[in-house]
Amino acid sequence: MDTEYHAPTSPDNDDVETVVGPSVHVEGDFASEGNILVKGSVSGNVKTSKLLTVEKGAQILANVRAGSAHISGNIKGSVKVEDRIELTSSAQILGDITCSILVVEPGALVQGKVMMNGVSIAGGEEDGSQRSAVRTRRSSKQEDQEEQA
Amino acid sequence: MYLYLYDNFLRSRKYDSLLSTIETRLTDFGIAGKIIRLQHLTNAESVINEEIRRGASTIVIVGDDKTFGSVLSKAAVCDVPFGFLPVGADNSIAKVLGIPVGLEACDVLSRRRKVKLDVGWFNNRYFVSRLHIPPSDITVEYDEQFKVSSTKGKIELVVCNLQPYTWKSRKSQDIVVHPQDGKLEAFLRPVVGKGIIKEKYDEPSIFPFEEMVVTSRKPFVVEADGKESKETKITIKLAKKRIEMIVGRERKF
Repeated sequence: MDTEYHAPTSPDNDDVETVVGPSVHVEGDFASEGNILVKGSVSGNVKTSKLLTVEKGAQILANVRAGSAHISGNIKGSVKVEDRIELTSSAQILGDITCSILVVEPGALVQGKVMMNGVSIAGGEEDGSQRSAVRTRRSSKQEDQEEQA
Repeated sequence: MYLYLYDNFLRSRKYDSLLSTIETRLTDFGIAGKIIRLQHLTNAESVINEEIRRGASTIVIVGDDKTFGSVLSKAAVCDVPFGFLPVGADNSIAKVLGIPVGLEACDVLSRRRKVKLDVGWFNNRYFVSRLHIPPSDITVEYDEQFKVSSTKGKIELVVCNLQPYTWKSRKSQDIVVHPQDGKLEAFLRPVVGKGIIKEKYDEPSIFPFEEMVVTSRKPFVVEADGKESKETKITIKLAKKRIEMIVGRERKF
């Protein structure tokens, strides 16, 4: 008897790594569903919902959007990262950074504004203060629940 | 009814004993059928279509990677399930499909575990194993969104579908390209200079894609499933779930 089988889907399959090699130049908007590793140069927007790694000597000349980022090369453009961005000592960014967590090694160069969500000090950006208020309410609720438990 | 397509190299006497054992096993399983021996000029597509008209319900390719590629690149348009009995030394696709080489492949065939396979397509031709462009002055455009070029000149390009590919590297470990389902994977390796015997290559770039256009001012060589042609522009696409294939449990996708 015939049996229909579907190919098993593993989460690893979605984690396809895109690699831009050292002597390769990419021109145009560049998006990937998996992790992106840039060792060469990219002239165009770079977008991924996962990890973007820019190695030392690599450069991106446009805006960047990523889930998280590890930067050791140069970026000329705004950088929007949902979660965590790490700048190593060789990183150079000429543009604004938006992120939740910022890790900077001594020697990294940034010329631009740094905006982080979650600032609870009065006078902070409206969006940030609203989010922080929500977070505070949530955390106090969680504390109450923990106490009751 | 099963139709078995034997490659021409199986005429060699050294395969006689293995083939007769395989045929006995197939008879035991009740899946023996008509045997057609492929010649160099046999058009697999017309042979298969004719046999389907006569009642063939499963087409089984008997041979190696080359046989598999040359039959399926023509027969991918035929609407019938395919099986594979790998015989001989050059059988890397069988591993990917989870089919053991030799007699044990009959067991996999009899179980009829079927999956639909993606097939590569370029310039009105299918390719099932891989497409290779030796180092050439090419520019590659992916999914009509971005262009990739080398800063140092020539690029070698490999697009993998089913056949694994190994890039030998002196400095680091060899890079083994594993086929994946759902997307084609393009591996680009710029030439950075000439060694004493071979050209020196830079680290490869890897891009998963669904459509890719390769262009050049000069004609470049394209090898797909063992067939060579010269082109100035090719469009490579993925034809999703094109071939119904009988595979083993140990398949790699």
